[in-house]
Amino acid sequence: MAVRSIQPPKETIAQQLPKPWSYYVGISLRYLVLTLIGLILFTPFILAALGTFKTDAEITAFPPKLFPAEWLWGNWVRVWGTDIGNGGTFPRWLLNTAFLSVTVAILEVIFCSMAAYAFARMEFPGRDAVFNFMLATMMIPGAVTLIPAYVLMTKLHFINTYWSLIVPGAVSAGSIFMLTQFFKAIPKDLEEAAVIDGASHMEIYREVILPLARPALLTVFILQFQAMWNSFLQPLLYLNSADKYVLNVALSIFQQQFKAQWNLTLVGAMFNAIPVMILFFIFSKYYIEGVAYTGIKG
Amino acid sequence: MKTVDVNVSQSSRISAAVATFFLIVIILMVIALLNAPTMGGPKVMASVTTYLAEVQRTALPFLGAVAVLAIVIGLLAARMVYHEWPNPRRRLNLITGYLFLSPYLIITLIFTVGVVFFAFYISFNQYDIFTPPQWVGAANYTKAFQGLFDPAQKTFLQSIHNVLWYALIVVPLQTGIAIFLAVLLNSRIQFKQFFRTIFYAPSVTSSVVITLIFMWFYLKTGYINFFISKAFELFGLHWENINWLGDPRGLIQLIVEAFGGRIPSAQWYLKGPSIAWMAIMFQNIFTTAPTFMIMFLAALQDVNPTLYEAAAIDGANNWQQFWKITLPLLRPIILLVVVLGTIGTLQVFDQVYLATSGGPLGTSLTPVFIIFREALGVQGPINMGYASALAFILAVMIFFFTFLQRRFIERETELY
Repeated sequence: MAVRSIQPPKETIAQQLPKPWSYYVGISLRYLVLTLIGLILFTPFILAALGTFKTDAEITAFPPKLFPAEWLWGNWVRVWGTDIGNGGTFPRWLLNTAFLSVTVAILEVIFCSMAAYAFARMEFPGRDAVFNFMLATMMIPGAVTLIPAYVLMTKLHFINTYWSLIVPGAVSAGSIFMLTQFFKAIPKDLEEAAVIDGASHMEIYREVILPLARPALLTVFILQFQAMWNSFLQPLLYLNSADKYVLNVALSIFQQQFKAQWNLTLVGAMFNAIPVMILFFIFSKYYIEGVAYTGIKG
Repeated sequence: MKTVDVNVSQSSRISAAVATFFLIVIILMVIALLNAPTMGGPKVMASVTTYLAEVQRTALPFLGAVAVLAIVIGLLAARMVYHEWPNPRRRLNLITGYLFLSPYLIITLIFTVGVVFFAFYISFNQYDIFTPPQWVGAANYTKAFQGLFDPAQKTFLQSIHNVLWYALIVVPLQTGIAIFLAVLLNSRIQFKQFFRTIFYAPSVTSSVVITLIFMWFYLKTGYINFFISKAFELFGLHWENINWLGDPRGLIQLIVEAFGGRIPSAQWYLKGPSIAWMAIMFQNIFTTAPTFMIMFLAALQDVNPTLYEAAAIDGANNWQQFWKITLPLLRPIILLVVVLGTIGTLQVFDQVYLATSGGPLGTSLTPVFIIFREALGVQGPINMGYASALAFILAVMIFFFTFLQRRFIERETELY
């Protein structure tokens, strides 16, 4: 994964000449459009965030007002204190989601980097066949594995345990593919020096490749964390007691329970969105390179 | 260059090969055993013995078929080991290589490959976990298309009709918007990174969050109606608020009715996508376009800027440069985005489950939603065989479209 440094092209002679007024109009129009699009894309979040402070009556009043008449922090407190019985409390759901996301992301980093090392840096018969097999499995639509995986989970007694999400989530073809491409790009000389020193593959993997691949590993961690945090269908299928719910599933129940109390549902949505948003703003470079890379080369 | 270690005797070579054969066959058979088409339920799953007894009762043909496959793979692996064994370096490489791959291989074989075999078998059976599977032949597949003859059973056909409209509208729009945003961001501007981050941020949140927010927007008293009524007021018109997610009127139906025509409800397939369905489409485009924008942006940054300079010298304006340089160079990414978009749109679920549950009048039913409903018995009995058959029909559709798009877009590429 080439870290793209974006260098503005050097000014050509034409650009050093005095510019016509149309040039400045064009430029300001461009920024206007950019700002407008940014605003439009953010509008749902701004409106929803403001909505969380509104009263029950205000939230569905027509015409809707932009700002709440009175800032009602109580909605956030109420949602935080949600308790639907059987241990189903809001902090618990948040904790479940965080636990699952972190666990799956760590396992992905370990197992996928191992497989990628074998694909990218080792030579053994059957390697390319296995790699092609992996590419083929990427074509299987999720809809096909949905039901049989559920049956398998019941057989393994995984239903309503976190194993049902952790075990299948521990590897993914997409992450392996991305890491393989990254590992291939690491120069061989470093490794050859280690081989001359008599290092084993395990040592090369741990001491040479992993430290060099830190940005790619971080990308896998972040993308998988986000994928688990945002997943809905699998947790909906596999986890069915109130104390095991993840936030997304709890939110869907919220919405049915609170009906017209959209202010409370929106608080729940914000609780779900804010952590990934923060993570995104801190690591946006890794996110964007990960998406661009898995997309293009995947 | 093969150095043969004379210390390795023929017998150790053979025993290594035989051990590999049995290891492979045992692993594959255990995976097959886990995915054997038997009934589940607490009684059967109480212990390993009760489960094995059940396997023996119902799943022997399945295991037999897998055993043949396992033996073939085992033999291939054994031959490989036999071949590599005498050379110590290659032997070590072989063992280490597969050890590194083993977590991935085992998990994938159990949770992806094994379950697909199971699903394929079960799609020819009547199956509900709690009773043994009953062979019904192709009945599940023919049932899916019953709607062609019996309008009362149109559910699945309607869901296919819905997702086709969905893909047809969402894929081109989100691809087009993504290209537009990427080209805009790639132009000579300051704060490129800042705008890129801002544009992409909404896409990192979950579909559940976005759907909940949009459900609120789409209320009769929501912001969408508010914005439209404000826009209408500018022109002195009046907008009657509508309940977006509950409105079954179709696009084509609305157009026909505007001209005084009428589409009878028996011809539901002529009505086009409903207002509720288009509302979900809009929301989907909103969140996926920025993701694809990132892919296009990455591709654009790899384009050699001298191409544009040369074109500018030849007198090509921005518009011509876009059509003659940018777009042709983006073709591979366009193919990828269109394929990914189609795969995604044909499998919509989250939005439907949360926002409409398939309604109004089934105009937002999707195959995956029906598969989910049938498999869990949300309406009526659990019907996993039928659900699996539907999943395979959907998979064939997805493969077919991917193939078509690849042929079409790749052939066009050859022109350049």
